[in-house]
Amino acid sequence: MIGHGKEGFLLREHLLFCVLLLAVLLTCAAVGSVSLPLDEAARSIWRAAAGRPQEEGSLAASILLPVRLPRVLCAGLVGAALSLCGGAMQGLLKNPLADGSTLGVSSGASLGAVIAIAFGISIPGLPFTGTMVLAILFAFLSLLLILALAYRLDASLSTNTIILIGVIFSMFASSFSSLIITFAGEKVKTITFWTMGSLQGGGYRNAAILAGALLLFGGAILLHCRELNAFAVGEDNARTIGVDVRRVKLRVLICVSVLIGVSVSVSGTIGFVGLVTPHIMRLVFGPNHRRLLPATIYGGAIFLMLSDLAARTILSPRELPIGVVTSLIGSVVFIYIFFSARRG
Amino acid sequence: MLTVQDLTVRYGKLTIVDRVSFSVERGQWLMVVGPNGAGKSTVAGAISQTIPSGGQVLFDGRDISKMKRRELARRIGVLTQSHYVGYGFTTEEVIRLGRYAHSQGLLGRSDGDGEEKVQAAIRRTGLEPFLKQSVLTLSGGELQRTFLAQLLAQDPQLLILDEPTNHLDLVYQKEVFALVREWLDDGGGAVISVVHDLSLAKSYGTHALLMDCGRVVAQGTVKEVLLPERLNGVYRMDVGAWMRGLYRQWLEDGL
Amino acid sequence: MKIQKMPALTLALLLTLLAGCAAHQPAVLGGAVQSAAAAPGDKPVVVTDMTGREITLEGPVARIVALTAADCEILYALGAEDTLVGRGEYCDWPASVLDVPVVQSGADTNIEQIIALRPQVLLMSGMAQTEEQIAALEDAGVHVVVSDAQDIAGVYDAIEMLGALLGKEKEAQALVDSMKEAFSAISSQAGANAGKKIYFEVSPLEWGLWAAGSDTFMDEIAQMLGLTNVFADLSGWGEISEEQVIARAPDYIVTISMYSGEGPSPEEEIAARPGWEQIPAVANGAILNLQNNELSRPGPRLANGAQMLFQFIEDRKP
Repeated sequence: MIGHGKEGFLLREHLLFCVLLLAVLLTCAAVGSVSLPLDEAARSIWRAAAGRPQEEGSLAASILLPVRLPRVLCAGLVGAALSLCGGAMQGLLKNPLADGSTLGVSSGASLGAVIAIAFGISIPGLPFTGTMVLAILFAFLSLLLILALAYRLDASLSTNTIILIGVIFSMFASSFSSLIITFAGEKVKTITFWTMGSLQGGGYRNAAILAGALLLFGGAILLHCRELNAFAVGEDNARTIGVDVRRVKLRVLICVSVLIGVSVSVSGTIGFVGLVTPHIMRLVFGPNHRRLLPATIYGGAIFLMLSDLAARTILSPRELPIGVVTSLIGSVVFIYIFFSARRG
Repeated sequence: MLTVQDLTVRYGKLTIVDRVSFSVERGQWLMVVGPNGAGKSTVAGAISQTIPSGGQVLFDGRDISKMKRRELARRIGVLTQSHYVGYGFTTEEVIRLGRYAHSQGLLGRSDGDGEEKVQAAIRRTGLEPFLKQSVLTLSGGELQRTFLAQLLAQDPQLLILDEPTNHLDLVYQKEVFALVREWLDDGGGAVISVVHDLSLAKSYGTHALLMDCGRVVAQGTVKEVLLPERLNGVYRMDVGAWMRGLYRQWLEDGL
Repeated sequence: MKIQKMPALTLALLLTLLAGCAAHQPAVLGGAVQSAAAAPGDKPVVVTDMTGREITLEGPVARIVALTAADCEILYALGAEDTLVGRGEYCDWPASVLDVPVVQSGADTNIEQIIALRPQVLLMSGMAQTEEQIAALEDAGVHVVVSDAQDIAGVYDAIEMLGALLGKEKEAQALVDSMKEAFSAISSQAGANAGKKIYFEVSPLEWGLWAAGSDTFMDEIAQMLGLTNVFADLSGWGEISEEQVIARAPDYIVTISMYSGEGPSPEEEIAARPGWEQIPAVANGAILNLQNNELSRPGPRLANGAQMLFQFIEDRKP
């Protein structure tokens, strides 16, 4: 049916993006406070992947592998996850401005994480996961709340209503987080982390958790491309052609919540990645999710790795909050989209 | 084929549709008529399971509220009036979505004679020239034809048309009704139409259901139902005089 | 709407970060005592504050509200704690200062709270107050004196200015002399540390890694000790990335993180960061935690902080 022949992502396109992704990954791993040649970076990553020891005292051994590579990996994975979520929500809600940051889901997830840290909520035996679980839970609850409010105000879920409620909720959640941070003092990361995001200190463990979540829940979203196409055409139409609207919506929203929750607990709220990437990809690959979503995953990874590279090198040795870079790019694109949508 | 028993829809304390019962058999085109607020579209929505309702709707003896969405979509297809497509999908993509209910497997790749149905739907609606075009660039009539093609590709046994031509000009109105007539003549199916235009109801319908204030006033063949005195009662005016007045001028001018 | 709000927020945040924490402006500060009678009495006291404004008082001050922690510390060091009728919320040293009524400070400064305490003088730093706020205070009879030291010389000026306000010139002079003495004792042995590098961490990794660059008290003290601040190319405080620290391989690390008592101490947390084990300071266990603002506050305890750092380095010499 809709995935007939040429409609899916072609092998050749997958290969092209993989090569591009690897090239960006290598560049980001090689460039930084101390840069090393690309081939040397590639060799040492290869050596590490094969489990062979590094040359003693080399830059690769001292900086690239322990610090820079896990950070680059986290950037790529967070970028991919947030972009996929943005793409899925834009389809599901038939709303080109939907995204974790515009709908307030990220702020909700932050609030959950902040509460978990401030009140020391943890799951017995799993010290690290309390933050993540609460972030996921709050992301999901925020989504439900925002959508329920939007439905009450305007059953057609028009772009403006949903964004407006998202903004209000986002402000509410952020100020609540700030309040808790103020009282919790030393325990919780700074407000900047939760509003602008940071990929500092992202270790291999975070990268592994992100990769696992992306594989499981991102994979689940990819299995719903046809349904997302139907939603993007219109929810009523989706129902007519036989999509179980409630179930699909619930599944996709759960996947989105998990991915945003995990991303936020690793890197704080990084705005606009999820908004911008699907848009750019839609311009190139069209709105069909079978092509759009794979492209968005690659594109998001590349976008955030490059943004992080910019954040840590532009004002070197000073580091910019990653959210400043993505928001600067994102807000310009956002306004462009908003205006062209209004005019069109 | 379809049996509706005591269908009731309430919004809070308000009863919009009150114990409506009727049935539709294969080969019939049932016209649901009545003034604004009679509950016509609500009945259509309740049958297609988009509006929660009381009572029972049986399709070939099975309760449709217990069917999965896909099962239902293979039996009943709906065409409504206004569609706004969110993104620039191609006409072909939108038409192919119609096969959703028939596809099997995780990615929905296997779909028996789906390709044939899609091609037939495209041929029948004459959309070949627009297949690769974005639906955002189509005119209202072309877009409505696209959704009709999607519906035909969906290949249901019962079509529900909820005033799909309301905002379209005469050409498209004629086109859609002619296409549906053609589909009905191919055999096997039935149509339920919600219509305002009594002339359309009379010339295309085989059967009619006249509603007023959420209740059924009369049902049967078109001839039996659309009687002048009954219509005058429901519409609270002399329908016949109005219609004659409308068409007299045309007849005098030799149309 | 969000569209307009986000870039504005971004910009605002960025500016706050740069202005609030990082960019210390070059010092254009007088702070010198112009004239003051030696004996406390009813002779008028005239001081020029650190923005160059001349303030005339009828006599030594008996009621002061001090917004900055450094000024509170100076008042205590001069033995004038009785004059303190109100303090800023971040004033926490010595512990007894916590008993003094608290007022909001910085960007949240609340003029009503201050006026209600009926001080003769409000001591504050020049950062967050608008002209209107200052005018409102002066109208209410509160003299605003700006004390805003940007370097150690500025701290001496601040001490001398406060001494003049209080009629405690002698005590002020003694305090300044003792600080100078402590610093000169340290700097006389600076040669032994030549070539050694130090990294000052003002915010830990979890909060976003921030380092002290040049034009900071820490940098000034590093120079006094003959050490090279690895982030001297950074002006003021700034966020930096982990790999920068690793690449610059400091011999000593000073962290000013507070230890809450739970989990790993700041020293342990630094030592446990992946990839940091190769930094000489981490490998040799040369991490010092000065968590009581000894080096980050322009007050008399800068000398103590410098001494503690000096001693720490001495102890690690073979």
